[in-house]
Amino acid sequence: MNGLYMNNIYKSFGTVNVLNGVNFDVRQGEVHALLGMNGAGKSTLMKILAGVLSPDNGTIAIDGKEYRFSSPADAKKAGIGLVVQEVDTALFPSLSVYENIAADEIVATKQKPILSWKQQKQRAAELLRRVGLSISLNKLIRECTLHEKQLIVLAKVLSSSARYIILDEPTAALSETETKRLFAIISDLKTQGVSFIYISHKLKEVKEICDRVTILRDGNVVHHGDVSALSLEEMIHYMVGRPYTTVQKEARAYSEDVLFKVKQLHIAKTNTTVDLQIHKGEIAGIAGLVGAGKTELAESLISHTKTAGEWWIDGKRYTFSSPKEAIAAGICLIPEERRKQGLFLDETVRTNLTVRLLSSLTKWQWVLRKKETQTAQQLVEALQIHPPFPQAAVKQLSGGNQQKVVIGKWLKTDARVFIFDEPTKGIDVNAKQEVFSIIRSLADEGKAVLYLTSEFQELLDIADTIYIMVDGQLVKRVSARDITYEQLIYYCSGGDLDGATVRFDRQEKANAVSS
Amino acid sequence: MAQPSVSIAKKKQMPSLLEFLYKHGTLLAILVVIAYFGITLDRFFTYENFSDILRSISIVTLVAIGITFSLIVDGFDLSVGSTVSLATIASAAALVLYRQEILVTLLVPLLLGIAVGLLNSLLIVKLKLPDLLATLATMYAINGVQLTYTKGFSIYNDMPLPDGGTAPGKFIPSFLFIGQGEVLGIPFSVLLMLVVVIATHLFLTYTKPGRLFYMTGENREAARLSGIPVNRYRTYAYVISGFFAALGGIVLASRIGTGQVSAGASFLMDGVAAAYIGFSVFGAGKPNVIGTLFGSILMGVLLNGLTMMNVPYYAQDIIKGAILVGALALSHMQKK
Repeated sequence: MNGLYMNNIYKSFGTVNVLNGVNFDVRQGEVHALLGMNGAGKSTLMKILAGVLSPDNGTIAIDGKEYRFSSPADAKKAGIGLVVQEVDTALFPSLSVYENIAADEIVATKQKPILSWKQQKQRAAELLRRVGLSISLNKLIRECTLHEKQLIVLAKVLSSSARYIILDEPTAALSETETKRLFAIISDLKTQGVSFIYISHKLKEVKEICDRVTILRDGNVVHHGDVSALSLEEMIHYMVGRPYTTVQKEARAYSEDVLFKVKQLHIAKTNTTVDLQIHKGEIAGIAGLVGAGKTELAESLISHTKTAGEWWIDGKRYTFSSPKEAIAAGICLIPEERRKQGLFLDETVRTNLTVRLLSSLTKWQWVLRKKETQTAQQLVEALQIHPPFPQAAVKQLSGGNQQKVVIGKWLKTDARVFIFDEPTKGIDVNAKQEVFSIIRSLADEGKAVLYLTSEFQELLDIADTIYIMVDGQLVKRVSARDITYEQLIYYCSGGDLDGATVRFDRQEKANAVSS
Repeated sequence: MAQPSVSIAKKKQMPSLLEFLYKHGTLLAILVVIAYFGITLDRFFTYENFSDILRSISIVTLVAIGITFSLIVDGFDLSVGSTVSLATIASAAALVLYRQEILVTLLVPLLLGIAVGLLNSLLIVKLKLPDLLATLATMYAINGVQLTYTKGFSIYNDMPLPDGGTAPGKFIPSFLFIGQGEVLGIPFSVLLMLVVVIATHLFLTYTKPGRLFYMTGENREAARLSGIPVNRYRTYAYVISGFFAALGGIVLASRIGTGQVSAGASFLMDGVAAAYIGFSVFGAGKPNVIGTLFGSILMGVLLNGLTMMNVPYYAQDIIKGAILVGALALSHMQKK
């Protein structure tokens, strides 16, 4: 019996059941999409297939033979290949292309410790031909483009005669033409009997390249079948499950005056240019999938990374070359990596909270400890930081309280533009509500707030307007009251941008609830 | 003396014996070492010996405070030993070869030290070279500079010159006072050290720039995103490091009364060990001036005792190395 069958797979971590009896099968020579929201169990299932994790229960059969993998090497021998999303982790940057392709074989081989260059090169050339890549075999990996590296990893996987290849978000960092080329190669290999498991958030591409689909939600298979029989909207419905009901929030009023605006801001990291504007008292959201370039945008707005363009604050034009200048003009960033970018972990809450206020707390550069403690105490109380002592070590605070400290350091400054990058990452529900109320009160005070996240529900809860970010670009601006959760996913997954064919409306959603 | 506090601490937490040793181990070690040498060596507890220990500690402390600054901004300065040598030669040359008075004699080495610091920060902050390698390079280059300038010969009073005459100048009393003089029975260099220790301690602990130094080192990215000019503070740190190394060199030249080539080499190791021992003193867990002072006291007492026990100086290096390893292990344990 040809094909790959994972039957009745169970896996739990502690008391959390991640996979509840998942059945997953891939036919020979097909591209099979594996879809699901974050936390649906996709990566756990694929880790089991690649031999990284072992299942609590269930069987794996490949081409009629049953397997029990105890290591990634076992899975490799059985014909499973994995092309990871971060291809750099699978390659040696200072070795040449052919040496990288031969690396696995050299490690695996026992009889012949020395392979001739000629043999290695011949084999590498043959494999590169199969993946349609024509580059010099002697080129160093660190000089290759991302697309080339990806194909080299694919060639490497093929060299171990993999028949079932897992592609994890293969197009996340590829340009449109590179994506097209990758698809051509996949189609070509398909005809040679190689199967692919295709994991992606870009549903439009799934529609384009995949034959069949399995959709996971909360560790269960909620749908599987032919891709052609499924519309993008249906895919999203299966992935999301329960329709998301927005609490009809009151329309927040914000001023007509534009407080913050960037014109032709060129972000070096993503090589894209964005324009955006935020009114006084407005909470603008940026919705984008992981890898869409949100953090790059946030860091560019405060000039932390290389950025060119024009900033306008309250009608005044600026150009910045360092965060110091941007901060002086009134911009602040609450960064995504709280511990790495936002906190001085070895210091006290007080020291963290007053870092921007020291000028007003010093006399002749001497820090007035009493005044500083008072100021910190006020902030601790206003933000309800627990434990409520300014002298507590910030290291010992929970994630939510740490986040309040990171936000708190800006509250008494004259910052007018607040940029929040994934501010609820890793904090509990209560802390999230507290962070939301801080953000709302900032907006009510007339600040401009930018909120970047891939948690779309949060945007619907808090944002007044939402920008959609795809591949580093802001492709659409909508009012948060006129958009549904499904529409947000639809746009962010690369769905039609003109909006003409979108069929999610509030009416349909109401039907879904009643059914 | 330590016993009761250990048992009290034990009730609070299990790993507290270790914690106690971590916090007060240095002090304990200093006391143990003094007690041991005091019992075994006749001449250890004498005024002359203590004043000698304190004088040698004062130079190590000055150098180690400079290193402490570079450690605070999460950098490292290997070039301090060479800077000490350079400053020693520079002040001796100013006095002996150029017959300068006290002002120039002090100014020239200090400016040279600042210049070395600027060179280091150019390499590390501007050109973004790794600090260890950049300062390793300057360490060798600076050492080469002072050797080339002196052609390998020391500079001393009435030294013969290549043209046949003798050197015009000499070590003047006001300069020698720095390393050899006493105020109310206390060596002047020790007073100088204490003033520097107190001033830098207050500066780092209680002032705004002091705090920004620490923040720059603890989390450079967070500091940058908080609007702290991190590169400026890193530059300051290397300049301060060069300055204090030069000050140490001046005291050294004054103490020995000659400009000996490569005289500062040993101060790198002593200073680094002192600064790292200082991490743990009173449980600070970070580079700090008071800790550095205790670190160099420990090193000074130990080396003095070993010398009196006739342990040869090359064997002392083994002990220095072992102490540095111990101090590094302690500071890493604390981080985990």
